[in-house]
Amino acid sequence: MSLDHDIVGPVASMKTSRSSSTLLSRLRRDRLAIAGLVTIVVFVLVAIFAPFLSSLSGNDPYTYHLDALDSSGAPAGWGGGISAAHWFGVEPLTGRDLFSIVVYGSRTSLVVGLGATFLAMLLGTVVGLVAGYFGGWVDTVASRIIDVMFGFPSLIFMIALGAIVPVSFPRLVLLVVIIGFFGWASIARVVRGQTLALRKQGYVRASTALGASHGHILFRQILPNLSATIVVFSTITIPATIGSEAALSFLGVGVAPPTPSWGRSIGDAVTWFSVTPMYLVFPGVALFLITLAFNVFGDGLRDALDPRSRGVRS
Amino acid sequence: MNAQRSRSPRSLRQTALKTAAAAAVVAIALTGCNANGDKNADSSTGTQGSTTDTVAGGTLTILTSATEVNWDPAESQNLAITTLGLVERRLTTWGVEPGKPGVVVPDLATDTGTVSEDGTTWTYTLKDGLFFEDGTPITSADIKYGIERSFAPELSGGLSYHKSLLEGGDTYTGPFAGAELPSIETPDDKTIVFHLTSAYGDWPWIVSQPAFAPVPEAKDDVATYSQQPVASGPYRVAETKSGVSITLERNDKWDKATDDVRTAGPDQIVFSLGQDATVTAQRLIADSGADKNAFGATFVPPAQLAQVANNASAKERLVTSDAGALAYLAINTERDGLDNVKVRQAIQYATDKQAFQVASGGETGGALATTLITPGIQGRVDFNLYEAPAGGDVDKAKALLAESGWDPASRELILVSEDDSVSLSKAQAIEQGLERAGFKVTIKPEAQLAATQTLTQGDGDYDLNVSAWQPDFPSANGNIQPLFDSSQIGNGGWNIARFSDPAVDALIAQATAEIDPVKAGAIWAQADEAIMAASPVVPLVFTRNSFLHGSNVENFYIPSFPAYPNYLKASLAK
Amino acid sequence: MSAPVTTVRTGTSAARTARFVLGKASGMIIVLLVVSALTYAVFVLLPADPAQLACGRPCTPERLEAARGYMGLDLPSWKQYLLFLGGIFAGRTFGSGATAIDCAAPCLGYSFRLNESVTDLITSRLPVTFSIAIGAAVLWLVVGVAAGVVAAIKRGTVIDRAVMIGAIAGVSAPSYLVGLLGILLFGFTLNMVPVSGYVAFTESPLDWAWHLVLPWTVLAILMAAVYARLTRAQMLDVMGSDFIRTARAKGLTEQRVITRHALRNVMIPVITLFGLDLGGLLGGAVITEKVFSMPGLGALLLDAVGNFDLPVLVGVTLFSAAVIIVANFLVDLVYGVLDPRARA
Repeated sequence: MSLDHDIVGPVASMKTSRSSSTLLSRLRRDRLAIAGLVTIVVFVLVAIFAPFLSSLSGNDPYTYHLDALDSSGAPAGWGGGISAAHWFGVEPLTGRDLFSIVVYGSRTSLVVGLGATFLAMLLGTVVGLVAGYFGGWVDTVASRIIDVMFGFPSLIFMIALGAIVPVSFPRLVLLVVIIGFFGWASIARVVRGQTLALRKQGYVRASTALGASHGHILFRQILPNLSATIVVFSTITIPATIGSEAALSFLGVGVAPPTPSWGRSIGDAVTWFSVTPMYLVFPGVALFLITLAFNVFGDGLRDALDPRSRGVRS
Repeated sequence: MNAQRSRSPRSLRQTALKTAAAAAVVAIALTGCNANGDKNADSSTGTQGSTTDTVAGGTLTILTSATEVNWDPAESQNLAITTLGLVERRLTTWGVEPGKPGVVVPDLATDTGTVSEDGTTWTYTLKDGLFFEDGTPITSADIKYGIERSFAPELSGGLSYHKSLLEGGDTYTGPFAGAELPSIETPDDKTIVFHLTSAYGDWPWIVSQPAFAPVPEAKDDVATYSQQPVASGPYRVAETKSGVSITLERNDKWDKATDDVRTAGPDQIVFSLGQDATVTAQRLIADSGADKNAFGATFVPPAQLAQVANNASAKERLVTSDAGALAYLAINTERDGLDNVKVRQAIQYATDKQAFQVASGGETGGALATTLITPGIQGRVDFNLYEAPAGGDVDKAKALLAESGWDPASRELILVSEDDSVSLSKAQAIEQGLERAGFKVTIKPEAQLAATQTLTQGDGDYDLNVSAWQPDFPSANGNIQPLFDSSQIGNGGWNIARFSDPAVDALIAQATAEIDPVKAGAIWAQADEAIMAASPVVPLVFTRNSFLHGSNVENFYIPSFPAYPNYLKASLAK
Repeated sequence: MSAPVTTVRTGTSAARTARFVLGKASGMIIVLLVVSALTYAVFVLLPADPAQLACGRPCTPERLEAARGYMGLDLPSWKQYLLFLGGIFAGRTFGSGATAIDCAAPCLGYSFRLNESVTDLITSRLPVTFSIAIGAAVLWLVVGVAAGVVAAIKRGTVIDRAVMIGAIAGVSAPSYLVGLLGILLFGFTLNMVPVSGYVAFTESPLDWAWHLVLPWTVLAILMAAVYARLTRAQMLDVMGSDFIRTARAKGLTEQRVITRHALRNVMIPVITLFGLDLGGLLGGAVITEKVFSMPGLGALLLDAVGNFDLPVLVGVTLFSAAVIIVANFLVDLVYGVLDPRARA
């Protein structure tokens, strides 16, 4: 929902860049943030080596194993059919290997999460920079566009757009574009605000007076000062976009099956919960963990950059 | 040619949802207890429900995923034994009992119709003692008006078979501009005469459809009739809370002496709208509190079928139909590669019917099918042109593909599927089966309406689709004609294999014209086999529909046809 | 492109405030127009034909055409849009003669699928969405702010740590997952609360609340986490500031310092965020309403998008956008009044 709001305040107060060594040493002392980072790295590795990992158990996420199901279509055996062959058990109705599905699902989540966040940051930063720097009618128009983006019930639009775009367009790319496109308004607002503040700073005014080009001022003087904000904002936007992908898949409008997606697995698993709870546990925990990891790491990063909001970890 | 799509729980929304519940007054003894119970008692497939004496009283709740009920008979595709049947009577209706095929029986009329010798003129006489809820007598003019208004473009979306059968119906645009349809005559208040364009033996079934309910012209308001109909049945619409619930109360102007099919047990019937199918099933499995007096109008999803299998109490309250709709894989015969009969036959062997059956909920979800005509229909012959294990015969498929000269790797086949989870798991069962033989299949999830449009309008930009079809009345005509007659390609027709074969068209025409049902049945069986030889579709399973009811609900059963519960007799125990 | 200029504003503060408000209000109307046009454009592109639904079975091309004509779908889309806009201010009539359907202003369209005007649909569904939003909002505001304040006061202790970890976990849990688990646990396993359905407040306030307990809780968990984090950060900010030190120096009790001085300042950003979130929620909580089978605006939208019910989609989207934009506008106003620097 409004994950991004709560960091607007503290981040907006960061004006000067800090040396990266201080940042690292601060981060290193934050055990939670380190745990988050490690988790993220593990998930990224899992995503990259998904085919290898799932082949370790001799499976892939697509092959049916009807023999692993009982007569009602539920996984046969303990824990949703957990066995030497199927480490996380199997999916009901299909008998597909749940370990492979969860492992491959990380690809969907991370590609959409990272891709959409990158797109949102790019769009948001450009709009925010331009609006804040040039002011005047440019700012008015940009601000109105930002307002329009805020006013859109974006979930409904995402569903509608999914229906308009032809099947030949890759679903994963579509999700990245749609989620990214509806996610840039918050960062634009923050960047605009900070740019407004920065351009009044002495050294920027001085550069202007000395005849520096807009490009030089924007990219050499203002943007570097925004980098911390953008990095922290990105880290905290990623879990939100991962969540959006899962929510869309949960609603049945995400990636098309049989491409694995945690959100779709969760949606399916909920109906099976009383029969085979493990079917919900694995994709559910995976989604929760990756979201939590990004949030914790983002938090730590923000604290490291802005000691004022620190407190818990020291 | 009546056919009813019944697919995932989603499209149930279209049918059962626009549906309703039923009830009747005081102890009308029905046929013996457990008329069907014994036959099915053991099986994991559950029973079709049972009947007992009707007790009057109580509030029956019907949990439905529909978010609205359209009570306008001109706009409804409702089955005769569900929602609308509680409030609106028709000339005829369906007599259904557990385990027996439905028959057409008189409702407002004294009989199922008298036909002229040439088969084109049908005459009905109304019973005595028929009144609307406001006390005005029901006359033949009210029925004529009800039919006429169904022709108006303002009121569309309903079952429309009568529109092309009645003389002059192709150009008539409804009564609102003042024009009448002369092919419906009302010589007096009790008599109504229909003039058809050609002989049609199933006409008594047509006049059981919603459009043949009486509508008093004086009370007709197009804008509100869909929510405030004038009741002729045992219940009237008392209160509608948009998106939340609809409450029916007794219509005391209804006389049970005039009605043989409605028992009107509960004092009140409440439709609880917008209920998720899974939650509904879980509530009914739990069977606590007011849910004891409820039943679900949506199919029990496969996951809850598995849940019920491990719950003795719920198992007793699960009602499962006989073989109902035919679920089949339609192959678009106009597409590159699929226009080759060898390729289509290879698909017969490559299809994993077992995985499809499991995705449908296993044995309880349906019985494997190899033919097109539903079991129990006159003339049905059981045969199998493509003998293979339930999981398919991949080697045979590959051999046929090699023979065909078409390379399955040359392009992706687009499998259009509705986007709900049950439809998608069925689509995936097909997809993985075909890929074993080297086909490349891409699933394209679409919202229900969009999928319908892709399949029935336009030029057919898809290769495969999993569909299900249930005829509206038990005739092989309803199984074959809408799906395979070349006139049904596009323009809203459901020939989604886009199958066009003059020989099959000729057989269909011949069978439709045949008045002797036994002879007609034999021709239909011939058509069935001729179609299967050309392989435009792969019959998958004859689906079984399962419904759950609370422990206090009685007389809840599913007839052999249609595969939906009879709302008109459901009642509550004391 | 113009170079950045630092304008020096003149005039009385009242005039400046009026100009500020007017500027914001006119901007808001432009935004609404753009949203409505975009909504129309996107949904007109949808691959499905609403007339298809009205065509019946079997459908013939002639009957499909007739249905299109009646629904006004045979007109060019820009004309349909202008008629739609006109309807909002002047009302409109669908069809003609004996069967004409009147849709009084403000007419947001008419759903031929539901046989109701979109305005009526919104009116009947809004109480549901409103009930969900208000209850959840109260809950998350109270819980979130309380947790944030406590964490800030007990900074660095186990309590602080627990609140912050709980908050971050709350933010990370997908709401539908929490909701569905809640249904399974409290609804089915423990049989404590109803799992679905809505009872109107006017019918039975107790049943109303009882049916809403789960959705409130689920929404509140997520949002309370956000508020706890924000409150704590603001609290720490304020507690370190000069005027709090002054207050302490004056010998006020710590309790008084917190309630009278610190909280008041903390609440400004919190209330600002609250306005935005509440506005967003009043536009329809799609997933929550779906999970709990609540017939609110979000469920209406989801239902409409699946059925390509164009009038409902456009009408409700516009309404939701309006609510969100008005909430933004009010927040801007409040902010502008409280902090004149924001007007720049």
